[in-house]
Amino acid sequence: MRKGWLRDYILKRLLYSLIIAWGILTVTFILVRVGPSSPADKYLANIAARGQDPSQVIAAIEARYGLDKPVLQQYGEYIFNLLRGNWGWSLSTSMPVIELIKHHWIYSFQLILLSSLFAAIIGILIGIYSAVKQYTKADYAFTFLSFIGISIPNFWLGVMLILVFSVKLGLFKTYYDTTLPLFSLANLKALTLPVITLGTGMLAAYVRYTRSAMLDNLRKPFVTTARAKGLPEHIVIGKHVFRNALLPLVTIIMFDLGSIVFGGAYLTEIVFGIPGLGQVSFNAIFANDYPVVVAITLIGTLVVLLVNLVTDIAYTYLDPRIRYE
Amino acid sequence: MKKKAAIIACAALAVICLVSGGVYLARTAGVKAPGEIKVKGIFIEGQSGGDAETLNWILAADATSFSYVGHTLDSLATYDNDFNIQLRCLAKDIEVSPDGLVYTLTIRDDLRWSNGSPVTAEDYVYTLKNLMFSDWLNYPYKGDWQEEVNGEKVFVTPEVVNETTFTITRKTVYPEFVYTLYDLTPYPKYIAQKYEGDAEAFMRAPEFNNLSYTGNLGPYRFKEWNRNDRFVVERNPDYYLGKDVGAPYFEQYIIKLFGTSATRQAALEAGDITYTSIEPEQVIKFKGLRHIKVYTVPTSGYTILAYNQRANGWEGLKHKEVRQALSMAINKYGITQNILLGFAEPAFSFIPKVSPWYTEEGIVKYGVDALYDKQKAAEILYQLGYGVRQADGSIKVTDKDGKLLQLVLVVNVGSKPAEDMAFFIRKELLSLGIETEIKLVPWPTLLRGYVMNAVPGSKQEPAYNNGPEAVSQERWDFILMGFGTDPLAPSGSHVFFTTDGGLNFMGFSNPKVDELFARAKSKEALDKTVRQQVYAQLSRLLSEEQPVNFLAFHRANRGFQKNVMGIEPGVNMGYNYHLWYFE
Repeated sequence: MRKGWLRDYILKRLLYSLIIAWGILTVTFILVRVGPSSPADKYLANIAARGQDPSQVIAAIEARYGLDKPVLQQYGEYIFNLLRGNWGWSLSTSMPVIELIKHHWIYSFQLILLSSLFAAIIGILIGIYSAVKQYTKADYAFTFLSFIGISIPNFWLGVMLILVFSVKLGLFKTYYDTTLPLFSLANLKALTLPVITLGTGMLAAYVRYTRSAMLDNLRKPFVTTARAKGLPEHIVIGKHVFRNALLPLVTIIMFDLGSIVFGGAYLTEIVFGIPGLGQVSFNAIFANDYPVVVAITLIGTLVVLLVNLVTDIAYTYLDPRIRYE
Repeated sequence: MKKKAAIIACAALAVICLVSGGVYLARTAGVKAPGEIKVKGIFIEGQSGGDAETLNWILAADATSFSYVGHTLDSLATYDNDFNIQLRCLAKDIEVSPDGLVYTLTIRDDLRWSNGSPVTAEDYVYTLKNLMFSDWLNYPYKGDWQEEVNGEKVFVTPEVVNETTFTITRKTVYPEFVYTLYDLTPYPKYIAQKYEGDAEAFMRAPEFNNLSYTGNLGPYRFKEWNRNDRFVVERNPDYYLGKDVGAPYFEQYIIKLFGTSATRQAALEAGDITYTSIEPEQVIKFKGLRHIKVYTVPTSGYTILAYNQRANGWEGLKHKEVRQALSMAINKYGITQNILLGFAEPAFSFIPKVSPWYTEEGIVKYGVDALYDKQKAAEILYQLGYGVRQADGSIKVTDKDGKLLQLVLVVNVGSKPAEDMAFFIRKELLSLGIETEIKLVPWPTLLRGYVMNAVPGSKQEPAYNNGPEAVSQERWDFILMGFGTDPLAPSGSHVFFTTDGGLNFMGFSNPKVDELFARAKSKEALDKTVRQQVYAQLSRLLSEEQPVNFLAFHRANRGFQKNVMGIEPGVNMGYNYHLWYFE
């Protein structure tokens, strides 16, 4: 019975997701093309240095990539190619868009995954401890540190970590080495500073959210009942209080995941020279590389829609009272 | 008598030998002879200016793409730091016919493609005729190879003479065309033919995107290009210039990209990279590091303050005297010393000091010494009707109606020195009574909104110079930006300063300037003495006319790990990089 309505719900959501993704794709495609910029803009300095006529060079570049055709014709051709699995040709990196994404997604994925795990595990543990030991010196210390963590800009933290741990102490390389094998200790070590940089803000926020959600539940009658029943404290905290506090936490963690996929990891990637999708997408935006901008927007949209769907499904397992019509 | 003379001669010879030997030893102290140098190490260059667009260079419009490809593919010739020609793929220097119309090029006979076949004159001519001049490929720099004949643009004519010799014939004389020829690199005809006529196939051709054809044509061979990360080339043991000396001496040469200058410089400090450029404010620190050597070298780039002489700029800017007075009120040493920290020098015209065509004679030096005089500037503007005398006798610069003069200065957001310069200029002008609104805008907005122009009410597509009636979409009075002059071929700057120059967005027009640029490109300029005179006149005239305020020529700082040997610091210090080595 449960399976039946959930399956229908998932199918309905997937259908909506496709419609939303198509809408966002269309809007992005049209917006980037009707905007005042051209992929040739970035060459102006070089054109000037060579004493060339900029209009001639710009016309040559636009003609080569078919950007001189009417927007609707470009859109039609794009959709047709997309349906055949052809995501287009990246104007700024000279390779098929799909190859570009295939090559770079792993850098972002490992950084986001490790940062999220680092932030979620440590953040939640500290948050639980803070809530249980409310108003102790440790709670005050964690509260103070979490405010600092929330306030520190990623960019600044990354540069400081490099200056201290790489330049002064020589413990890490100043940049991420892409030649390291993916599943290796060396790669894990290389990701240490980037993960701390990206994860610190999230970790600090999770400490605050967990503490707050735990405190909300600690005051509820079911906790008193559980304690009155003589359950051990770790069971009361772990099984009863934490499970109820998880619902808002899952929402926040999933929301964070969606945001960092859409660009939150960009600054960390920039600081540590990680050639992930954040860098790819921002470079594509500045280079007016339309096919890449549209493709990454589409992928980002799909990821966010998927994360939302997974979150909704997770709710039904965390709280069996939840049921979607 | 004879004996005495012989003794004197021997003594003189000995002194000469000792002196020249000493000079030689001093110059080459610590530098090994080629036979003693071992191939070792990986040279890592740190860059933060963005990645290349393509390795299929004929499709590239950006300088980075050409620089990447240049590691694997030599051009016909290059220059040393004194602009002496250094032959590369050329067997001898280009011969120019007395009438300046026919250029004869002879390439080396030991150049090979990757399949072992020789690189021939046919490859060069094919590259020009069938690729660069073609309609289907849309080579962005076609204009380099076109000339105007009877009002029409036509291509120059390349022709094969024999296996290693080809000619290029022009219909009109252009003395500096030879510098375009030196930059020429070929595509292999045997591969390119497969893709001829199909732009998309050419664009995707694996041989061109992986540089798998370059044979012995460059010091390195392509290994890997990870976008937004690194470009890797490895030593080419067959390099035609390296066979006698064993060069190049690095096992690999890597260009590592960084997102910020801070992390790029931290990588140099930590020893993670071998070389990168150093920001002015970091130079003292890096000079103090024992393992780093910093070279300060001149460049041909300069910063200007463009004066809008079009209809939507302040009408005063159309007058030479007003432009001169404004330039007189801005202290160039304040910019070069305080903002650029001494890594620049005041500019007064468009030809940089490093250029063989540079002259100081007769140059009007606005903004320094006697010509940095705000009081005099205010007096001139007052005399022209742009000012009111206040009760204390001082002059406040105003518009013609005596109202407060409010001008707009536009600058690209993101460059701290440029932003600092804008605020410095505002302060200088404020002391005359001129209020300047600074607009910090992104580069595309600067181009589309302020630089590009069109005649109002017309159906013109916006361009950088759409004629004297054209105006930009947004109103502006000053734009702060960087210009560059080719030190060997300054006539290319006609695009900025001639009435119909393609990049003359400020609307400057002076018939004498137009005539001089035309003369610099004419037959009479084949005589270098005449060309020198023409450039001297142009420099003087532009320093006087002030179409823009020439603010500062920049110097660059290059930081290397100290164990890199063989470097010759200068404007073109990479010209012999295949001979650099690790100690």
